[in-house]
Order: sequence, then structure tokens, then C-alpha cells
Amino acid sequence: MIKASVIKIEIVTGDSRPVFKQIIDGIRMEIAKGNLSAGSKLPSYRGMAMQLLINPNTVAKAYAELSSEGLIESKPGLGLFVVENKPKINESERKSKLQKAIDSFISETVSLNYSEQEIISELQISLKNINFVEKTEEHNDE
Amino acid sequence: MSDLCIETKNLTKQFGQKIALNDFSLNIAKGGIHAIVGSNGAGKSTLFRLLLGMESPTSGHSKLMGGFSESLSAKERGRIGYVNEEHTLPGWMKVEAVKKLQQSFYPQWNHNIYNQVIDHFDVDPKQKVSALSRGERAGFNLSMSLAQRPTLLILDEPTLGLDVVARQSFLEALMFAETEDDMTTIYCSHQMEEVERIAEQLIIMEQGRLTNNSTPEDFCKRINYWVTDWDNKKPKDKEIPGFLSRRVIDGRQHILTVDQGDNFSGYLKEQGASDIHQLPVNLERAVNAFLTANHKKPENLPEYS
Repeated sequence: MIKASVIKIEIVTGDSRPVFKQIIDGIRMEIAKGNLSAGSKLPSYRGMAMQLLINPNTVAKAYAELSSEGLIESKPGLGLFVVENKPKINESERKSKLQKAIDSFISETVSLNYSEQEIISELQISLKNINFVEKTEEHNDE
Repeated sequence: MSDLCIETKNLTKQFGQKIALNDFSLNIAKGGIHAIVGSNGAGKSTLFRLLLGMESPTSGHSKLMGGFSESLSAKERGRIGYVNEEHTLPGWMKVEAVKKLQQSFYPQWNHNIYNQVIDHFDVDPKQKVSALSRGERAGFNLSMSLAQRPTLLILDEPTLGLDVVARQSFLEALMFAETEDDMTTIYCSHQMEEVERIAEQLIIMEQGRLTNNSTPEDFCKRINYWVTDWDNKKPKDKEIPGFLSRRVIDGRQHILTVDQGDNFSGYLKEQGASDIHQLPVNLERAVNAFLTANHKKPENLPEYS
């Protein structure tokens, strides 16, 4: 029996994102940061739900979405795991997701009176912190 | 066999001049937790009484698990659990005696479920019911209801007046006890935090009518929040399509609308508004705006279809 990884995410009520979306975002971030590495086992619906004090069906909904994105996969009889191979999403979808993320980033940043240079350098530091550069190189190798 | 746990068709109940339920058609699928939210007097209690066949409708009909409410057998009734906020139990009896009595009514009683649920609460079987705290009584009630292995469990504001600890225990026991897989739970609450945590479906009742039955996130999508600069030429509130509420904050108009979609900014522009922003809406704000609007203007109830 493989033990499930500990997932360090938190959900808050009163957020404009519904709870299942917060789980998706949280797990996606944990994978991106490398806290959840390829092959890690996810907690059961019930286990995750107990940790977050939410309905297990909501966890199921979030996991289903992550599966359809190709980030996690089910191994019959064993549970759900972070995929070994990075998901292949088509180019236009990839582009549109990036654009969406940029739009929301810009809309939150634009009023903060930072210069373009300051924002870019902060962004680079954050990307370095999650080893983003190495990962893109890996992606290119494939 | 019907896939619906609850089915009401044009259900109407009139008490003298007062219409408690008005042409109420609701379908609730089997399984999952469905929250019912509505102001006091929205018709929730009337709905439950009609569903359980305790009263007859003025017109229309209702079915539970495929059978008409008014002709439910004793066995079918035995599969319906009900917990209300009063947590009324005979105070002079000991916990174990109440449990024994309750158990004798329900042949399908399951000890494991009872023990599992009561474990969340500090209840001594030798205690008198009157010595239990409100939270313990709620837990005791829930334990007995779940041990009956209901196919339908109705919880009417069960956590009202409970402290944080008791409330958390109650939600844990409800969600994580290993109960029947096909149990359908109806959860009435005004606590949006609870609704967000537990509800898969959000049903909203207002003045005897059904005004929403969707996932909570789909409900949030119905509500939009706009902030705009608008001079004196703006239309009257009631002329604004889907109007819910308006506040002026620092000279800007903050407007909440229902069912207008993102195209509403086009309407705002046409009406001479400028500097238009759309803000995210959380569930609590969405529900509050929705309920408050209809409190003020009962003639403008948005119909759910």
C-alpha cells in the first residue's frame, strides 16, 4: 500500500472562486512548485475532504478536472497519481491559458505603480524559485 | 424506477389569504447534499410537511422516491430522517433509553453508524438528555437519524446556535460517517460558509417560489457586480434589467444584477455610464443580494425555469 502524499493546500470560504476551483489551483501550484512530484499518490476523496472539511464529492469534482487536464491519472485499485509524463495540451489551448493568466496578472498588477522592469524582475525571481526555467528545458527535450 | 429523490409539480399550498407555496416545481436527484436557502417564511417548512404527506396541497402534487407523498407507506416513511434546529428530545430520559426507543421503531437500524457518529460528540449513554449541551443534543439527534439509514435526510438549520467546535463536529459527522451511498441530504441553512463547504446543489426559495436550483458556482455566475461612473441621467433602479441592488460608494455606482451576463456592460454604455468595471462575486454576496432584492420588491421575483 503506497501512502498518499501530504498536500499542503488550504481552502477559504467567502472567496469568489468556488471550493473545487481552489483545490484545482492549489494542487496545480503544488505540482508546479515540485512539492508534489511525478508519481506521488494523491489522498483519497475522503481523506482530502476530511483535511479540508468539505464534501468528498467536491474533491472528486476537482480530481476529475485535474485528470481531464492530464495532470493526474488513476491507477486501478491503487488510487490517483501525479502523472509521470507532462500532459500534452494542444498549442492553441496552451496559448490561450497563458494569455488568460497574463491578463489576470496584469489586471492585478497594473494599479500598483511598479515600473515594467520591477515587475519583470520580481516575476523572474518567482519563476526561478519554482525552477520554472529548468522545467521548460525539460519540456523542450521531449 | 425514478432517479429523483424529490419531485414536486406545480405544488401550491394556501392558508387562507396567504400563499405558502406558489406553483412550486422542484426536482432533486438522488444522492448528494442539496442546500436549501431561503428567508424565514419562504415556505421551507410547508414544503417539508407536504413532502412527508403531513398536509395536503391546495393543488399540484409531490413525490418522494417515486411515490406520491400522500400515500407513503409506513416503511417508506421509516426511510426518511429529519433533524431540526430545536433538537427536541425528552429531557427526563437517559440517552441510552432514548436510543433504545428510537431503535425499536426502525428495523434497519445500524449500530456501527450510530457509534461512529456519536463518537464525534462527548455524549455519555448514562446521561440524562436534559444534561446534554445544545451541540451534544444535535450530535445525538444526528447519530440516531443516520443510524436509521435514511434514503432521505432532511436537516433544518441543524447547526443553529451551536458553537464553533460543535458545528465542526456536526459537519464532520454528517459528511464522513460511512452511511448509505444513495442517501440524499437536504440541508437548510443560512450559513453560507457551511453551504460552500458541503453543498453540491443550491436551491433557493423565496416567498413560496423556487428561484434557483443549480450548483453553487452556477448560481454565482448568474450574479454580476458592476462598478461604474454614472451621472444623473441614469435610469431608475426598477428600469435596470435584472436589478438587484445599488449602492453609491465614493461617488461610484456599485450595482448587482442577475441573469444579465457580461453583455450588461453594453447596456451600461448605452445608458451613458462610463469607466465600467466588473468585480468578482462570492457566494455569500450573491445569495444576499438575491434575497435582499426580492425582500424589497416582491412583485419582481425573477422566475427560475
